Amino acid sequence: MKPPSEEHDLIRWIDGEMNETEIATFEERLKQDPVLAKEARQMRELSTSLRTHLPAEMRVPHADYFNTQIEVRITQMALDEARAKQASPGLGAMFQWLRQPWFALAGTAALAVLGFFLLNPATGDASESMIISSYTPNTHVQARTYHDSAADATVLILDGLDAVPAERKVSGINIQRSEVEPELASTTMFDSHGTPVLMISRDALGNPMITPRG
Amino acid sequence: MKPILTALFLVICTALASAQGEPPSVVSSVKHATEGHVWGALIFATNDATQLTGAKEPIHADLPRLNERLAKVFPFKHFEILGQHRQDIFREYESWVVPSRDLFMKIDSKGPADKGGVNLHLQVWREQQVLVKSDAVLRKDSPLFIGGPPWKEGRLIFVLCLERK
Repeated sequence: MKPPSEEHDLIRWIDGEMNETEIATFEERLKQDPVLAKEARQMRELSTSLRTHLPAEMRVPHADYFNTQIEVRITQMALDEARAKQASPGLGAMFQWLRQPWFALAGTAALAVLGFFLLNPATGDASESMIISSYTPNTHVQARTYHDSAADATVLILDGLDAVPAERKVSGINIQRSEVEPELASTTMFDSHGTPVLMISRDALGNPMITPRG
Repeated sequence: MKPILTALFLVICTALASAQGEPPSVVSSVKHATEGHVWGALIFATNDATQLTGAKEPIHADLPRLNERLAKVFPFKHFEILGQHRQDIFREYESWVVPSRDLFMKIDSKGPADKGGVNLHLQVWREQQVLVKSDAVLRKDSPLFIGGPPWKEGRLIFVLCLERK
């Protein structure tokens, strides 16, 4: 076990709190002490990794909580990895880990993310519909989603779609019931009078095919 | 009269499908398991009342003040339901919501959601082109408004809601 003064110097060296003279003296000690040098190198790599993975700002868009979940998972993985490394030399090293300044940083960040989930009603209201993820195969089309409280609706806006030609007649259908035929992968749809209106199935490419055509 | 119309429709569908190399279709009378029911509608939004088509489709009872709510999201004055579709969400099979041949939706159930509602995979189609694929949780009294393509000087909007019953 390292004496307290040596441990304190190691932490100050990792955190960049030493002046030039102290750095030179400490790095000379590292050259003389391979065990200390190895531990210093591991601690610095760990510190760098944590700083890299922990974002400076945690701005999470509404309903896009996958991003936040990924951040939480990264933080947890970094902590788990750090604990595993610290646990290997012995139980005492684990307590030493708790005293590191970046542990407080990581813990604070993790709590902030978890707090976001617990306190932010935008992602936690179980009465609202949610868009969890969206994908637009056409790269010119952008999908954005949010909950509009005034409309009491979840909104998915598709920007960049080609306009339907103005001269095209867009007409609607009133469907009240459908029957599926699994073996033929087709669905027949009926109006309010029980009259079959159309059938939808798949063509050879798997695209939907509506018959009769409009 | 109705059986004759049904038979005539099936003959037409069979002929069309055969002409395109598809097997003939048979309407099943089997009742399949469902996760609930949705109502989907295609709506035309515009600021120019002269562009309205004159469609008179009724608003679903589960969506009070629909036009007013749409106006909170989309910057238009007039909203017209072009077509609508009530559809079972089949547990084992894909479900189609087709309020129009021009814009329609495929739904795959992913089971009941925690704290109510249903997990869905949605695909919005425009004829033979899929516009967007989404994973969503749909809950009662919380409709989904999808802003679709522009048309004339307005926009086509797809509305989907989970029915209460």
